[in-house]
Amino acid sequence: MKLEIILLRIAGLMCLGLVVANFVGAKRMKYAASLEKSGPIVRQIFYVHCAYIVMLILGLAVLCLGWPELLLSDGMGRVVCLFFGLFWAIRVVVQLTYYDKKLRAAERGWDFFFLGVFGSLAIIFTLGGL
Amino acid sequence: MRELLDIGLQLAGWFLVILCLASFWIPKALGWKEKLAGLTPLMKELWWTYAIYVWGSHVFFAVMALGHRDWLLGGGGAAAAMAGFICLWWSVRLYLQFFGFDLAEVADTLLNRIAKHLLTLLFMALVIVFGALVAWNLGWIGDGGLG
Repeated sequence: MKLEIILLRIAGLMCLGLVVANFVGAKRMKYAASLEKSGPIVRQIFYVHCAYIVMLILGLAVLCLGWPELLLSDGMGRVVCLFFGLFWAIRVVVQLTYYDKKLRAAERGWDFFFLGVFGSLAIIFTLGGL
Repeated sequence: MRELLDIGLQLAGWFLVILCLASFWIPKALGWKEKLAGLTPLMKELWWTYAIYVWGSHVFFAVMALGHRDWLLGGGGAAAAMAGFICLWWSVRLYLQFFGFDLAEVADTLLNRIAKHLLTLLFMALVIVFGALVAWNLGWIGDGGLG
């Protein structure tokens, strides 16, 4: 099996892990309690955006695990690969520059873990698209 | 049929461009700044991260619809899967438009009412165009089909 296919399958497993992590994170970070202070529209939009992100990552996981060759087969597959390379690279930058430094310091282990996951995904998809 | 779908994709692409541009107006129209003031810093950060990623996905769909129409109409499994995913995306959004959002706290102005109806029409049109594209790529309509 080609190395690129294996890497995309690993990326698919990582994405599945991220889908699960979204649910675990929601409980651990007390999303519901935090959102209680806001109005209904803020709560609804937050959950809708959250669900769309999970749907996108789940779709990517299914693609990577079931049909990784589609991402490598033609020009468009590679464009999609590069899009997700950029998608995850931006996520690394967001974590490093935008997220609360105090919270990151308090959760240093998870901070490094997720930076590693997002960085690996950025590298795998960028390499797949080149 | 192919020509019709091509025109549909072009229109969908341009309307997605308008949606992406109009999205800059949504935070002000819905008073996000004031409404997010009560949230913790983490929730605010997550909010904006998610919002920008969803917006980025809409930009990507617009790029696909305008710049890669030949590929989307190419009759391949990948094209059917991509069109199916985008169709699912907008179907969920259409469902939410009718049954998901409680818009009681949004000001009942003429402009907001027009915007709501235009959005509903846009989501319907996007579901139809990308749904037809799935059918075309799978060979259910016209002379498309898996290549």
